[in-house]
Amino acid sequence: MAEARMPQKSLPKVNKVDERFWQAAANEKFLLQKCRSCGKLQFFPRVACVECFGELDWIESKGTGKIHSFTLVRVPRNPAFKDEVPIYYINVILDEGVIIESKLVGDSKETVRTGDRVKAVFQPTHDPAVKLPCFELA
Amino acid sequence: MKRRKVCFVGYGSTEYSRKSEASALSYYAEAIRDALRQTGLHKKDIRGFSITTQASPDYSPHVAEQLGLEVDWVLNGDYGGAGGVMSVRRAADAIECGHLDVAVLVGGNSFDKSVPTQRQLEYQRGNFVDVYGYGGPNSLMALIQRLHMENYGTTLEQIGKIAIAQRENALNNPQALFREPMTMQDYLSSRMISDPIRLFDCVMPCSGAECIVLASEEKAKRITDKLVYLVTDAEISHYQVANMLPDKTTFGQKVVGERIFSEVKHSDIDLVEIYDDYPIAVMIQIEDLGFCRKGEGGKFVDAHDLTYKGDFPVNTGGGELSVGQAGLAGGYLHIVEALRQLRGEADGHQVKKAERALVTGIGWLNYGRNLGTTAALVMERRK
Repeated sequence: MAEARMPQKSLPKVNKVDERFWQAAANEKFLLQKCRSCGKLQFFPRVACVECFGELDWIESKGTGKIHSFTLVRVPRNPAFKDEVPIYYINVILDEGVIIESKLVGDSKETVRTGDRVKAVFQPTHDPAVKLPCFELA
Repeated sequence: MKRRKVCFVGYGSTEYSRKSEASALSYYAEAIRDALRQTGLHKKDIRGFSITTQASPDYSPHVAEQLGLEVDWVLNGDYGGAGGVMSVRRAADAIECGHLDVAVLVGGNSFDKSVPTQRQLEYQRGNFVDVYGYGGPNSLMALIQRLHMENYGTTLEQIGKIAIAQRENALNNPQALFREPMTMQDYLSSRMISDPIRLFDCVMPCSGAECIVLASEEKAKRITDKLVYLVTDAEISHYQVANMLPDKTTFGQKVVGERIFSEVKHSDIDLVEIYDDYPIAVMIQIEDLGFCRKGEGGKFVDAHDLTYKGDFPVNTGGGELSVGQAGLAGGYLHIVEALRQLRGEADGHQVKKAERALVTGIGWLNYGRNLGTTAALVMERRK
């Protein structure tokens, strides 16, 4: 019974707005939204274009970009993540020109500097249906 | 927005506690009682009521019912750390329109275990931030601080000077949880939380509440001879929201500052109470509000004495960093401290010339950018 009360690592509460994103992530693709009217690219998944309120399509990102900023998390909000500290929490600027919040993984992450090139990788979670888009130094 | 006939007529505060599990409601009641004592108002005079809290399910009508308030105007001032300033704006609108002549605005939280004291994360935070094991607001502000340091050469010593000056301001403030001096060495060697954010960059969560009483000029003159007028105020929510490559080191306070300082001059401001969830947020707001140019906040801090005795008094009671952050009372603390100063009631940390104060509020770190809500007001003591 004690185990049932242990905190679990946070997973997305997938909804109708972002389910396409998470389905694609499970197949190791990173989707962005593109406005049908003005062509603007945006992230996170929304119901309307943030520029012109147009309707949205999904496009696949190349999953490449650079580190915009980073922090080493010593105290995660959800204590279930404690086994991963320090967590390299990052903002990435995708080559498509959109800022993404994510996590840096991989052996060389300790060397990270702003401006470093990165590429998307998809990490399994404790839910077999959910893969988490993360980044590695390229 | 220029105001002419809205006054602050009083305030109330509670003690802050790092342990108390007393009900959030009893904290609100204590702050209101304190304000009624100060103003000589009776409960039946309260015709407008606003509450700002994270304690669900205490929405404003429920709290008003609990406190036995029959009112003409009720508001859930739910704007994060900007809740104080933004609630004042809405109450001022209602007073100017003639809907009411006295409004009581309350912010508070406690470790009351009978109610959830934190809301569920919003969709974008829950699904696209928390899943990575981020460290709450500490991590999101850390991303911003790193950029400010790398882009502008801002040093830890410059950022730390803000925390240290505020601590000096807190030494004689009985409400402050932290009343021991802080040295630069203390600041620099404090434990890393989410680098470059250290322990002494962070606020201490606590139980407490703050209350502000706003009234029409006509009513105000019958309540007090310490007349403090609301002069001008402005807000913006989700600055840069449509920009997928936003400048993370510029807050909505840039727009707010342009509006505020089209009505008053920088040189007219005697003291500033700047929402201080982190020292870097204070520095960025000093820049955004136009006290110096973007990126020169570090040099500005070097060049000025930020204590209550100094030439640019900031967070004269110690701010949230030294007093403590009683949840969403944080956005009220700064207004109450400004009122203490302008009424000449800041014993032990009184600014010598305190006629005009600028107060800011900022709330919610949002996805990929910075602040969700940003607001400011100017108040003025008139004889």
